[in-house]
Amino acid sequence: MATNCEAIQELLTEYLGETERLSAEERRHVELCPQCCEVAAGENALGLIFAGVLPPADLAMESRVRAAMQTARRRRRLLALLPVAASLFFALLGVVMLGGLPGGSLLALLPVWSSQGWVSLAASAGDWNTVFTTAAGATTALLSPGVLVAAIVVSLLGFAVVAFVARRWRQVSPWHDIG
Amino acid sequence: MIETAHVETLYHDEAVSFEKAPDEQLVRLALDGEEDAFTVLVRRYQRRLTAFLSQLVGDVELARELSQEAFIRAWAALERFDPKYRFSTWLFRIGHNLGIDHLRRRRLKTVALYRTDREGDEVELVVEDQTKDPLGHFENAELAGSLKGAIDELRPEYRELVMLRHFACLSYQEIADFKEMPLGTVKNKLFRAHAVLRKALTAFL
Repeated sequence: MATNCEAIQELLTEYLGETERLSAEERRHVELCPQCCEVAAGENALGLIFAGVLPPADLAMESRVRAAMQTARRRRRLLALLPVAASLFFALLGVVMLGGLPGGSLLALLPVWSSQGWVSLAASAGDWNTVFTTAAGATTALLSPGVLVAAIVVSLLGFAVVAFVARRWRQVSPWHDIG
Repeated sequence: MIETAHVETLYHDEAVSFEKAPDEQLVRLALDGEEDAFTVLVRRYQRRLTAFLSQLVGDVELARELSQEAFIRAWAALERFDPKYRFSTWLFRIGHNLGIDHLRRRRLKTVALYRTDREGDEVELVVEDQTKDPLGHFENAELAGSLKGAIDELRPEYRELVMLRHFACLSYQEIADFKEMPLGTVKNKLFRAHAVLRKALTAFL
């Protein structure tokens, strides 16, 4: 009987003394057992006390949270545009380097050096060292060291930015996968 | 996307309010840009979260600020929310962490409560209690005081479960998830905690 009492009292604690949630047999037990009956009454009263512990609603919280949500949403949209902006920037940089600059078209100079590269590649296809040396020679001849370093730095930074943003925003919520 | 459209149609066409939608659907709608859905979650949980946090930090006004912060963080991290967990336990975990962080910071800013008077004796400083009583809204101040006292007297492990059960209004299963504790242990500990509370509050039962 004692074990049964403890099991039923555990249930009464969970249901805050609501005997209606017990099975018919358990209810009968509570009616006949003074200890369980006392626990049921005590839990019921305790439930009434706990029913009043919630503070009144803060009506302004909703609007404050909403305002913060909109700010976050705007920031998110701006960040989402970064890869597009980075791509446009590099495309523009390419255009400028290959002929966009007035009187300074790099494209015009390219065939002279690139032909050497192609010849070298054809002559010794396996000799990548020659190819790279020629390409490096062509590049250094076309671009001053300062510009070259700047271009490398800008490219690396660009890749880093694109990689970071892509990584940050590639996550698709698992919610979207739920069928 | 199709499912979201279906859910939206369901709510709009059948005039079923967001208020009645389960948390999971509201989260899904919020992820698809429906801010109203998240607002319903704020409305649904703000009192419970505030009550829980006010017990944790002992100040209802501060608890409101922390609750607000918890909602904002939940919104910002919604995409990373794992749907295999319940939204309620996730939200309360965010709130709980904020509360704990706040308590840690506050502990770092404490000042000595004693000073030395002219005779060289240590005198306790009287510090005005600036906190807002978490049970200040109770009509029966005596009951509020006794309840607070009874909860404070509980063993810490019982006190936290009582807070989660009656202030956060989490189910036993949600508490078990939150505490990563077997359901049976939660039941047993709450049973014992209630026995202590019933004894302490006999005068009001």
